[in-house]
Amino acid sequence: MSTMFADTLLIVFISVCTALLAEGITWVLVYRTDKYKRLKAEVEKQSKKLEKKKETITESAGRQQKKKIERQEEKLKNNNRDLSMVRMKSMFAIGFCFTALMGMFNSIFDGRVVAKLPFSPLSYIQGLSHRNLLGDDTTDCSFIFLYILCTMSIRQNIQKILGLAPSRAATKQAGGFLGPPPPSGKFS
Amino acid sequence: MSGGRRKEEPPQPQLANGALKVSVWSKVLRSDAAWEDKDEFLDVIYWFRQIIAVVVGVIWGVLPLRGFLGIAGFCLINAGVLYLYFSSYLQIDEEEYGGTWELTKEGFMTSFALFMVIWIIFYTAIHYD
Repeated sequence: MSTMFADTLLIVFISVCTALLAEGITWVLVYRTDKYKRLKAEVEKQSKKLEKKKETITESAGRQQKKKIERQEEKLKNNNRDLSMVRMKSMFAIGFCFTALMGMFNSIFDGRVVAKLPFSPLSYIQGLSHRNLLGDDTTDCSFIFLYILCTMSIRQNIQKILGLAPSRAATKQAGGFLGPPPPSGKFS
Repeated sequence: MSGGRRKEEPPQPQLANGALKVSVWSKVLRSDAAWEDKDEFLDVIYWFRQIIAVVVGVIWGVLPLRGFLGIAGFCLINAGVLYLYFSSYLQIDEEEYGGTWELTKEGFMTSFALFMVIWIIFYTAIHYD
């Protein structure tokens, strides 16, 4: 096995480990707390209820019904905000850990071609895919590009497999406030 | 009214938020299966996308298929196969799930990233190792 392919596999492995680490930290600081469990259950219940109500409401629905839905939406927004605040604790911890980790990995893999891309990325992506690499071969892949791709593919799948992904209804209702929960991985 | 999915079945509980029980997969290839739980069906679409990403990534990496054609090919296959599955085979009423676009984008970005990773790994391993 060549050094380059060994680096490729190593980066995939690092990505899996960091995704598990991020979820582990979030579990310790957030997921296992009663406050989070209570808020999450409340948000999911309210989201599903609100979705069902919105589906059944008609154009001719009375003002009272529409006001009721607005009140429920407001309540859900507040709960989503509280949920995001609870998550923020883990985001800081993960951000701190990952800044240190990424600094270390960046220096280890600095200047190393870790994979060959079967395509030439667009010019504005080459800043990432060809970062700190010598030469003009745009199919040379840097650590950070492969790591980002791995994280994007692995993290959500791990969350779904472990049953930690937020429900779709809650994500949809949260979209108008802070947006979906930000990724807990961080890369510099 | 879409046909072919109207048998009553006891609801098959899924594991929390995304993972699927084995019993759900037994419904996947049955065109007459009932999908009472919307999230369950969307999870099936999601995981189907990931499987397609892995399969196409391996094939593209082995051939090899290079360039934008590979990326465009994946997008077409991913969207096309799933569209045929839920529209023609299962004959799902897309409006129940928010429309064809909602079903098309379910899990697409994650599957795209997974496809890229697999494609890069196999391409590097077979053609540059």
